[in-house]
Amino acid sequence: MSHFIDRLRFFSKTPETFSKGHGIVTNDDRAWEDTYRNRWRHDKVVRSTHGVNCTGGCSWKIFVKNGLVAYEMQQTDYPRTRDDLPNHEPRGCQRGASFSWYLYSPHRIKYPLMRGRLMELYRAERAAGQDPVDAWAAIQADPAKRKKYTAVRGLGGFVRSDWDEVTEVIAAANVYTIKKWGPDRIYGFSPIPAMSMISYAAGSRYLSLIGGACGSFYDWYCDLPAGSPQVWGEQTDVPEAADWYNSKYLIICGANLPMTRTPDAHFAIESRYNGTKIVSMAPDYAEFVKFADLWMPVKQGTDSAAFMCMAHVALKEFHVQKQDPYFLEYARTYTDMPMQVMLRKDGDRYVSDRFLRASDFDKNMGETNNPEWKTVVYDSKTKAFVVPNGSVGFRWGEEGKWNLLPKNAADQSEIEAELTGIGNSDDVVTVTFPHFAPGEENTIQRNVPVRKLTIDGEETLVTSVYDMLIGQYGIDRGLGDNLATSYDDASIAYTPAWGEKITGVRADLLERTGREFADNASKTRGKSMVIMGAAINHWYHNDMGYRSIMNMLHICGCVGQSGGGWAHYVGQEKLRPQAGWAPVAFALDWHRPPRHMNSTTYWYFHTDQWRYEKVEADDVMGATAKGNYKGYQLGDYNVVSQRLGWLPSAPHFNQNPLAIVEAAEKDGATDEAGVVANMIDRLKSGDLAFASEDIDAEENHPRNLFVWRANLLGCSAKGHEYFLKHLVGAQNGVMQEGVDGQRSKEIKWHEKAPVGKLDLMVDINFRLNSTGAYSDIILPTATWYEKADLNTTDMHPFIHPLGKAVDPAWEAKSDWQIFRSIAKKFSELSETHLGTRKDVVAMPMQHDSPMALATPLGQVKDWKRGECEPVPGKTLPVLKVIERDYPNTYKKYSALGPLMNKLGNNIKGIDWNTDLEIEQLASLNGVIKEEGVSKGRPSLEKDIAVCDTVLRMAPETCGEVAHKSWTALSKKTGIDHSHLYEGRHEDKITYDDIVAQPRKIITAPTWSGIESEEVSYNAGYTNIHEHIPFRTLTGRASFYLDHEWMLDFGEGLCCFRPPQDLKAHKNLPKELASKLQGKKTLVLNWITPHSKWGIHSTYQDNLRMLTLFRGGPYFWVAEDDAKSIGLKDNDWVEAVNANGATVARVVVSQRVPRGMALMYHAQEKNVNVPGSNTTGKRGGILNSVTKVIIKPTNMIGGYAQLSYAFNYYGTVGCQRDEHVIVHKIEDADIDWLERPLTPEREAQLNPPGINN
Amino acid sequence: MSDFIFGAYPYLAGTIFAVGCWIRFDREQYTWKADSSQLLDNTNMRLYSNLFHVGVIGIFLGHFVGLLTPHSWFLALGISDLAHQNIAIYAGSAFGIAALVGAGLLARRRLTNERIKAVSRGRDNFVILWIAATAFLGLMTVPASMYHASHQDASTMLALSEYLKSVVTLSVDPTLLKDVSFVYKLHMFFGMTLVLVFPFTRMVHVWSVPISYLGRAYQVVRTRGQVCR
Repeated sequence: MSHFIDRLRFFSKTPETFSKGHGIVTNDDRAWEDTYRNRWRHDKVVRSTHGVNCTGGCSWKIFVKNGLVAYEMQQTDYPRTRDDLPNHEPRGCQRGASFSWYLYSPHRIKYPLMRGRLMELYRAERAAGQDPVDAWAAIQADPAKRKKYTAVRGLGGFVRSDWDEVTEVIAAANVYTIKKWGPDRIYGFSPIPAMSMISYAAGSRYLSLIGGACGSFYDWYCDLPAGSPQVWGEQTDVPEAADWYNSKYLIICGANLPMTRTPDAHFAIESRYNGTKIVSMAPDYAEFVKFADLWMPVKQGTDSAAFMCMAHVALKEFHVQKQDPYFLEYARTYTDMPMQVMLRKDGDRYVSDRFLRASDFDKNMGETNNPEWKTVVYDSKTKAFVVPNGSVGFRWGEEGKWNLLPKNAADQSEIEAELTGIGNSDDVVTVTFPHFAPGEENTIQRNVPVRKLTIDGEETLVTSVYDMLIGQYGIDRGLGDNLATSYDDASIAYTPAWGEKITGVRADLLERTGREFADNASKTRGKSMVIMGAAINHWYHNDMGYRSIMNMLHICGCVGQSGGGWAHYVGQEKLRPQAGWAPVAFALDWHRPPRHMNSTTYWYFHTDQWRYEKVEADDVMGATAKGNYKGYQLGDYNVVSQRLGWLPSAPHFNQNPLAIVEAAEKDGATDEAGVVANMIDRLKSGDLAFASEDIDAEENHPRNLFVWRANLLGCSAKGHEYFLKHLVGAQNGVMQEGVDGQRSKEIKWHEKAPVGKLDLMVDINFRLNSTGAYSDIILPTATWYEKADLNTTDMHPFIHPLGKAVDPAWEAKSDWQIFRSIAKKFSELSETHLGTRKDVVAMPMQHDSPMALATPLGQVKDWKRGECEPVPGKTLPVLKVIERDYPNTYKKYSALGPLMNKLGNNIKGIDWNTDLEIEQLASLNGVIKEEGVSKGRPSLEKDIAVCDTVLRMAPETCGEVAHKSWTALSKKTGIDHSHLYEGRHEDKITYDDIVAQPRKIITAPTWSGIESEEVSYNAGYTNIHEHIPFRTLTGRASFYLDHEWMLDFGEGLCCFRPPQDLKAHKNLPKELASKLQGKKTLVLNWITPHSKWGIHSTYQDNLRMLTLFRGGPYFWVAEDDAKSIGLKDNDWVEAVNANGATVARVVVSQRVPRGMALMYHAQEKNVNVPGSNTTGKRGGILNSVTKVIIKPTNMIGGYAQLSYAFNYYGTVGCQRDEHVIVHKIEDADIDWLERPLTPEREAQLNPPGINN
Repeated sequence: MSDFIFGAYPYLAGTIFAVGCWIRFDREQYTWKADSSQLLDNTNMRLYSNLFHVGVIGIFLGHFVGLLTPHSWFLALGISDLAHQNIAIYAGSAFGIAALVGAGLLARRRLTNERIKAVSRGRDNFVILWIAATAFLGLMTVPASMYHASHQDASTMLALSEYLKSVVTLSVDPTLLKDVSFVYKLHMFFGMTLVLVFPFTRMVHVWSVPISYLGRAYQVVRTRGQVCR
């Protein structure tokens, strides 16, 4: 009754005793115990996961108590794997376990927020009687008004608005932009659909319906390994984590398993109990090093040299000294090693040129279909050149011969492709290869055996890729070129001794590891694996790093074998039900094609980083280049790529695409062909031009930007300060004047760089991060515990739901509903302002389509230089006219459209009919009853209905679709693949199923691995075991790339390319040099890997995580480096270069080697970041000191595997070649910038002294 | 005024003390604690805390025994009034200085240490300052007492004792204090206020001094009793 009265027990009898009075039994109140018991009581448990680009993709139990999320815990109900393989559990780590903090944290965005100054302006216009679109137009028309709110971006000043008002402003801005500038001036950035597919699809569906451009992310994050499309024609396909267990030899480099693959790391550890040897190649003492048998600390950025040297040993001992039958068989069947390559006479030397094709022979060797796309081998059975099955020429225009069976395409007789011509050759000649090792000659000479052919009346020398390769690796075969006979010969490139010079790894260790790796692969038929990741991929020449590894794997026959191959892990890139998702996400059910853009190029241009480009393309070129574009800048190459239809563009042209069609129609065009003809004429006359040719002109600026599920500015914006300066127009720390771009050959130069290109920036998030801080409007979205969505990963074969444990808190809504409400407002406003219009989309030539056969023989013809005519789909982007019925945007958004019935569905060049699934969805989700375009179509109004739509249309989650897609593929390959899905033909996985328990997906032709009871999922498995060709030119894994630009830049064969000098820390601008005068400084390589104390790539501001380590930004420096400039642990330090500055605490540690500063990814501006004394602005983020740089070879298109597809190929946002200058800041000099915003401060956007 | 402060205030303070403690104990069990801040910063706390606590406990016992023990008991023990007063002066000074210095150091720590400052509430600052002030005033009475002692005059001490007895026997008589000098009265007012604010502060932990641990059985087992809710 009362705690006090209950204690008054003076008259109760003495308590009972026991043990001779040593113990007593009391009747004391025990009510207090309930407090502890209630701590672990809950009202319900809901299954969800974390949509955070984490490869873990773990299933979690979310505990709800009194209507609030109390905590989360790991789910443990995964289906078991199989005998002799460990189970997946436990999955989940400290990061996932701390997420629930965010729901009710101070970072949570509770209401729609708008920049106060914008709200005042907008309300004033509205009060004056303007309708929403006119109100927006009035603000944009007045530069003073516009600047009033754009110039204070990033300086706070948000006020609470409501949903009606924010959706109205956004819709008005979109309508205005479409009308005035064109729909392709609206951009959306959201990454990694796999982490929350429906949320991604929400924004991309809205943008695709109105004609906005959706930006790629995988390439922008530099997680896309360009080597993968180059070698395999595959964006990325990797083994599940369980397959590590099947490996017998693991090399790990660039992926810190226990730190960033925490829930999967156990498979690597368990594999050691299974007898696996693990070799680690981290430059620092990374966490995973501790469970390696051997640590080879390689100098950062020189991984390709190390792998080339190991492959040197493998090639020499298993291909040259002894001919391992398994390796040779593998090389012959699944790689391009036997393919014949022509040599080109270049002055008095020979250089390697393009592949020999059927078209080079009389009567095209009997091939009538695509002879220019069929490569040739020498058959040692018939002693003749033959065209084998499987090259890309067989993929399009004919059926049944696109397979890797060792057959002569002409008569389907068995062949044995010859690898080396030694002993049967006509001659031996010296071939010159480009070489890039610092301090060595820029070419190397190698003797190769050749055969002589007469082509078009001229004698032509041909050799095999295999013969060039062994020569290039520097192995002596007695051909008279005195190559390395010993591993100790450091003068010959790619010997272990040479490798030691470059990589710092002892030659004997490189030799031993190369030998062991190959020996193990030989004994186990390919169970040697390399686990790799972002740390070696974020370099300018990452494709060389990766190709060097792929080369070694193919030399040893590992790719496509369980327990072997590459295992590249970066983010959550595996969008398993991709085929079901893409139509919803890009509104392909209503309009095709969507407008896509590769973000790296987009940001490089629109944030004006090209204006500051100090790296010359000529300096990146190889010494054997033809060099038709010598003197071009890196950005110029991209302009060429866009106009030839290789890479996409946004905006496309210097005019509104709606106006372009209108003008064409005025000129008499009546159909698409007429519009296209009109456009070609105008392009030729120069009346119409590509936007990138004058990227800084106001009509070519991006105007509206949506960022959702992302932290663009606080995290992935390489060249963060350039974003702030040119795109956002905010306070920025760029420490140099951009003048280098004026040497551009293709881009018009404006003396004054534009500032603040965006009219409106919208951030949709549940957390106020650096991106939100610079936006104009922030919309509160549901967290991962507040919505229904889907989630998949590469690391395990399950599909997980995000579940709604509680309703979205405060005024938040799910992303699907947010974009629905914007679409609704947009439809209303477009009624009077837009109506139905025609838009023209310029689409690049797509991979996995016949468009990929646009550039015969890989020879570049540029219409603008008069080398050919502009032909859409060949030398110009494909031009497609699309009718946009703007007032029906909302109705289209909310229903699955009719094109799914009319055109069916497809993925990776395989088409099928979807009528049955649409019928099932109509009954499952209901149909739209309202009159209009969507009447009778399956509903997409509710989040769960959208989930089920994706699941039903994808082969991975619907057995019938698997059947249809595999059947279509079987027709192409001429091989029956039905056994791969047979047992699961009737399976249909629904949202409710995956809520009940994780469900394993069904084998689909979208991917190259299989789901089976016998083997784990492994990339390339169906290429090897089902003989489905790689989606490359030769149909085989590529050692050689023969496109003209590839050869120009010296990357026909893989070679070592050292880190690129970006020059931002040299020839410092005087403003910066004067600030550093007299300070003790240190130049360090800027390395930005992933952290233990952030939730994947973003959430560094979680209080629980901050409490665990330093409580704010920090970077690591080696003890000896620190000593050299008097740094002590936890001192304040600044890292600075011409790109900007970042201020942090220093962690002084023996863990990192000398020469690098290591700042974990995504340490952004919102917690404990002081001002920088150098820039006078807030002390930056990890990317304040970086600048993105693009590579011409990544811009190639229309050429088999080197063709564009969204997130598949394109320029990548690398940043690891960067160097910074580090110096100490005294505590007394720390300035938190906590002063009021004065007009002077507001006007001073740049650091003092920087003008342009 | 004097009637109120010395006639009614003791009962007001006493009632609030008693009822307040009861209510807090019953309703706010989780606030019934010492609110130690030593986890945040333990620098010098061995000195500060012990000085303060030894001093305060000494003073408390001194006042309790010295003022509430019947006059006749002292005489029976052979302790003359003057001896009593001298004991009070020297023991009181010793413990009072310890308490004052301890309280002063703790107050300084509480007001200047960043970490402690951040968690300090108004009542935490108030109570330590008030205790320090009370102790200071108590020490201020020492010169007067010494003057009385040097003149062989124990009347003030006896008057204070009589007054306190009148309070506890519910026959309060403020006139007993008519010859007592102001500094004693001010000290008494501060002391009574301390009693008044007691239930609203961390001082409640005094009630929970675990004296019973000294004689407790090694193992204490509770019956299921009221557990099953």
